[in-house]
Amino acid sequence: MPLNIDIQQILLHMLNFVILFAVMYFVLYKPVKAFIDKRDACFREMEEKAKKDLDDAAAAKSEYEEKLRGAAEEIRTMKAEAQKDSREDADKIRSDAKKEAKEILNVAKLKAEHDTEVMIKNANSEICELAQQAAEKFVIDNTADAYDSFIHSAGISDKD
Amino acid sequence: MTKKRKAVSIAVFAAIIIALIIGIAATARPDAVKEPINEVMKDAVLHETGRINLFGELRVNPALISAYIVSGILIAFALVVRIFVIPKFTLVPGRFQYLLEKGVGLFTGLAKQNSPQKTQFIGGYIFTAGAYIFFGTIFELFGFQAVTVSGHSIALPAPLADINGAIAMGFFSYGVILFGGLINNGIKGMFHALKDFTLPVSMSFRLFGALLSGALVTELVYYYSLTSYVLPVIVGVLFTLLHALIQAYVLTMLVSIFYGESSEKKEKAEKPEKIKKEKRRKTV
Repeated sequence: MPLNIDIQQILLHMLNFVILFAVMYFVLYKPVKAFIDKRDACFREMEEKAKKDLDDAAAAKSEYEEKLRGAAEEIRTMKAEAQKDSREDADKIRSDAKKEAKEILNVAKLKAEHDTEVMIKNANSEICELAQQAAEKFVIDNTADAYDSFIHSAGISDKD
Repeated sequence: MTKKRKAVSIAVFAAIIIALIIGIAATARPDAVKEPINEVMKDAVLHETGRINLFGELRVNPALISAYIVSGILIAFALVVRIFVIPKFTLVPGRFQYLLEKGVGLFTGLAKQNSPQKTQFIGGYIFTAGAYIFFGTIFELFGFQAVTVSGHSIALPAPLADINGAIAMGFFSYGVILFGGLINNGIKGMFHALKDFTLPVSMSFRLFGALLSGALVTELVYYYSLTSYVLPVIVGVLFTLLHALIQAYVLTMLVSIFYGESSEKKEKAEKPEKIKKEKRRKTV
């Protein structure tokens, strides 16, 4: 044949390649590809799981945000109520304090009046007493002088 | 080392080299005739003279022996990997596992890209063909020696540098394409591939021509003593590596494209009469 083409050698080459193909396909290519596919499936599953987890997390986040919004509203309401209560309490305390202060003032006023009366009474009695004492002293002093002059005039001395 | 000792050493080595060269020249046989360049080239192309005995029965071209050696090495490698490496594969690959996966992934990707219908079989085929062409072409770099029938020593060439190997590869690839068409699209698919009947010839001769051109350039470079120093290291290695890569890529790409075309499911085109009838019905 031209160009040294030999059918037998072509067939020998083909036989060689068929054997090589069979071995390489079943022994090397298929197991490696199976492993790659398995790993891809594993990663895909992991990715799907991660995606699902992310979706769940996003849903939970939105739920919590909703709850937080509700909680903020509730807090606002409670705060308003508390402020209202505290304002009422403060008003009540203030009015009570005013009332008490008024009572204390009245009592103090009454006591002051009573004390004044007592003081005036005491002062009057003290003045009377002092006047009496002064009168007594005056009388005694005047009486002693009269007696002494009498004695002196009578000539009676103390040496006697 | 002193300058004097250095000079003496250089002089001794120079003298030995000169003496050896003179000896070689003096012992040259006057009857040894150098093979003319056209004979060397013809032998590189046709392998008519340097035949090798196979199993003591057949006289084959040296490329067939190369093909068997390359296949043997690849099969041994595949078995070792299958037994010792693949069972230890991990989710996070090591260097060797990464290399294997990259090789398999490369050809699987090529198959998926060009023939998305059936990727498993064609992926395996182009993986094997690519590995065979690549390592078969690199094989000639090692210069393994074999003894011809006439008793001469010969460096084993690349398996596909023999036209018989290239024809086998081309026709087998064409057979795979026909088979793909037949399996996936029935007789019609096979006929579609049969239309490209020049394909096996073109594939065979492309392979043969590409690999042969590298071999011829290397032979030429080696033939003349002036160019046989240093230059073959660059030319031979570079040509071989480039051919290994390019031819492996070209053949696998072509096979996957043609396989994809022949195995592609074609939707049946509606007959014009049916369309007319449907239109009439709609108008009524």
